[in-house]
Amino acid sequence: MTTKLIASLFVLSTSLFLVSCEKDDPEIPNEEELITTLNYTLTPQGGGDTVTLSFQDLDGDGGNAPVITSGTLAANQSYTGSLELLNEAESPAEDITEEIREEDEEHQFFFLSTISDLTIAYSDQDADGNPVGLTSTVSTGAAAAGTLTITLIHEPAKSASGVAGGAIANASGETDIEVTFSINVQ
Amino acid sequence: MFNSKVVFVIAFIFIGFNSNSQDCTLSIKGQVFDEAPNTPLSYVNIFIQELVTGTSTDEDGNFIFNDICPGHYHLSFSHIGCEGQRIHLELTVDTTLSVLMSHTPTSIGHVVIEGQRDDLIAQPNVTVSRQAIEDNANQNLAHLLENEAGVSLLKNGSGISKPIVHGLYGNRLTILNNGIAQSGQQWGNDHSPEIDPFAADKIKVLKGASAIEFGGGNLGSVILVEPKRIENEPHLHGQVNYIYETNGRGHHLNSRLEKYTPSLAWRINGTLKKSGDRKAANYFLNNTGIEEASVAVQLERSFKEKLFLEVYGSSFNTRLGILRGSHIGNLTDLERALASDTPFFTEDNFSYDIDAPKQQVSHYLAKVKSKYFFNDEHFLELVVAGQLNNRKEFDVRRSGRTDIPTLSLAQYTFDSSLKYTINFDNHWNLKLGNQNIVTDNTNNPETGILPLIPDYISWKSGLFSTLSKELDKTHFNIGLRYDYEHQNVVTISKGVPKEIIRFTNQFHNLSSLLAAKFDVTNTQSISLNTGYAMRNPAINELYSSGLHQGVSGIEEGDVNLQTESALKNTLEYKWLPNTDFSISALLYHQQFKNYIFLNPQEEYRLTIRGAFPVFNYEQTDANIYGLDISTQFTIKNSFFALLRYSYLKGKDTKNNIPLIFMPPNSFYGSIVYRIKKPISFSQNIKIEETEIEVNNRLVLEQNNILASQDFLAPPPTYNLTGVKISSNFIFSKYKIRCFVKADNLFNIRYRDYLNRQRYFADDVGLSVTVGVNFKF
Repeated sequence: MTTKLIASLFVLSTSLFLVSCEKDDPEIPNEEELITTLNYTLTPQGGGDTVTLSFQDLDGDGGNAPVITSGTLAANQSYTGSLELLNEAESPAEDITEEIREEDEEHQFFFLSTISDLTIAYSDQDADGNPVGLTSTVSTGAAAAGTLTITLIHEPAKSASGVAGGAIANASGETDIEVTFSINVQ
Repeated sequence: MFNSKVVFVIAFIFIGFNSNSQDCTLSIKGQVFDEAPNTPLSYVNIFIQELVTGTSTDEDGNFIFNDICPGHYHLSFSHIGCEGQRIHLELTVDTTLSVLMSHTPTSIGHVVIEGQRDDLIAQPNVTVSRQAIEDNANQNLAHLLENEAGVSLLKNGSGISKPIVHGLYGNRLTILNNGIAQSGQQWGNDHSPEIDPFAADKIKVLKGASAIEFGGGNLGSVILVEPKRIENEPHLHGQVNYIYETNGRGHHLNSRLEKYTPSLAWRINGTLKKSGDRKAANYFLNNTGIEEASVAVQLERSFKEKLFLEVYGSSFNTRLGILRGSHIGNLTDLERALASDTPFFTEDNFSYDIDAPKQQVSHYLAKVKSKYFFNDEHFLELVVAGQLNNRKEFDVRRSGRTDIPTLSLAQYTFDSSLKYTINFDNHWNLKLGNQNIVTDNTNNPETGILPLIPDYISWKSGLFSTLSKELDKTHFNIGLRYDYEHQNVVTISKGVPKEIIRFTNQFHNLSSLLAAKFDVTNTQSISLNTGYAMRNPAINELYSSGLHQGVSGIEEGDVNLQTESALKNTLEYKWLPNTDFSISALLYHQQFKNYIFLNPQEEYRLTIRGAFPVFNYEQTDANIYGLDISTQFTIKNSFFALLRYSYLKGKDTKNNIPLIFMPPNSFYGSIVYRIKKPISFSQNIKIEETEIEVNNRLVLEQNNILASQDFLAPPPTYNLTGVKISSNFIFSKYKIRCFVKADNLFNIRYRDYLNRQRYFADDVGLSVTVGVNFKF
């Protein structure tokens, strides 16, 4: 009797284990927030060749390495800079620039170059009169080689000291984009 | 007969047959014994609540109450160094009681190192008492264990923490909530166990070499969170506990109600918590509020002393804010944060608001346990349980997506277990058991982010047997366990286009234990444990893939990981010469083969958001060894002292470097002044067990780490001081306990090595807590 009871309870207890099934296929999430591509288009003021710096990482973090296109700028020249952000993992590609523009008070781009003669000035403003950086003016000086780092900070402290002037040190917030290009001025 | 863990035994011996029910001439008398040496216990205070009268035991432990009318009475027993006990009595005849109190001199600080009567006796352990649980009901489970030797906390800010025992946590540590292995996303270093400690009557940490009876892939240590059985007591009893904490302005309300009737015994526990931004020494820690609501229901019934049934259900719901300034983008942000004096986003104002980043977790448990007694020595236990863990984590996101979780996981777990116990041939005890666990883990695609850990189902089944023998001076315990795990995993590839890749894994694990305890003399004992255990790689170790926010690192699992194994040896020495002194020292060593850990890689990974450090799950050989010392003594008359010391060292023996995230060495000490004699104000009110305590926790700098193993050097040594004053007011029908305490009394600025937010902010500053507990 005892043995029978234990045996039947054992079967009951392990029966859970016998209900075997395959895990269903997961639904692949729609990564609409992803930014895959940054294009910085520099149009020379007064005519000349347009330069496009681009950073493209179609498969996001990991996987294949990003494709970085650097550029050569003319010396002593002013350019109108325009930034474009895309999510090319979606088809058709989604324009993230629009999202940034809608939330421009919560975003700011920072431009940092190792070339001392290369200056970048903001040419746009959010509703509070603070810079955003979607459009900018780039001025080159003498021939030089170096890098340009473009950073997009989400929720920066725009009123902190130096931030409106383009200094990132006191910006707080967190980085949404940080890309570095090699630049040749000749 | 159902009580296998007898801590407190009451035997009723009825003398006299004359039930002269209307005469108030009955007597209650008896004798109280100390459980450990089994000698009479003098100066035990005994109080009959209904009559508001009390007495104490004499030299021989005897007491007597005369001229009592028939009726229902509640007797409370209290003694220095014992937890207070209460007995209900329906008096119809002259009654003699024989009372056994679990008296050890080691209860200062409210932790009783128990002389247990079950087969775990040969394994080292520490227990947190109900009193400590009530006084710290504003804390989470892990915090209750913080001051125990050999236990430390892995924290993520002030509100999220998980216990570390002898250097092991997460996947390597099993937490049993009411006998059921807590399921959920235990792998996450920033995930607290979802348990309301107020529902428990004791929390026990087993620090032995292997816990054969408990499944869950543990490599030695187990934390048992246990409600006790409902007392055989026909009146409604309950308590309300309220705690206010100045730091965070937190309100914490707990209540418990219970009643026994022959047809059904029931108990309900409820907890509500709300607190806001905590404050470090010099600034607010913005967005560190906590909200919690939980309830637990326990039902018990026994059928003709043959079958015992318990139904337990609990719901735990919490929202936890995470310091806003700790949410960063990439490595450059981390460097900026490290250079900043105060965390980013620090505000001057206090707030109860909980915004992103935050965690929102619900955990539900339902359990049915039945125990069938063939006879006193021979019983069978069947447990069936289900759990649902729902975890959502929110980060700061663009374009209104902050309200969409970045991690959303639902995990269902079903447990069943069958255990057969037989006592035979004078103190032999044999247990045979089977446990089965099915876990079904699913990501909700609402996140719009590729999941960090994949969807999976795992089936786990184990068989175990333990045999113990209790001789006069020696206890033996041997055990063997086999576990089989089958994992069915569905991952999503990283490439373009995304593909679904399936994996199937099978693992076989063995564990074994050899434990012995020798009573060298009446007051000294030595315990020896040797245990071997295997743990197969967990899902996160095999398949993690992606950014782990908060550490701002990319974590990559490795599908080729092998099962890790560990051999743990412990040696414990206890000496309890008299009620004025006791000491216990526990030495342990654990040797790992194929130890799985997150190894920081030399190269950073370039993404559009900048560079990220990469951590890969890798394997190595390692060892962890340490020493826990606990001592308690009477300084003079009413002054008592307690000292604890924990030492631990972890080493990667293959690469000859330290293991990261190992607890630093620490001291804990307290001095208690206790007013021994109850103070009677009037016939109806009495003040008992008034205590003034000064405590101190010293955590040394973790020197056992290389600079290249972390972003930031370990923080320096810190020392925290606290004071606490507590008292119990005894009325005829109820009891009120009040306490006031201050933690981090000197508002010290400090950071803790095991707090993951030490990169960003100081730890919590001064906090004053006031608590009132009403029991009836």
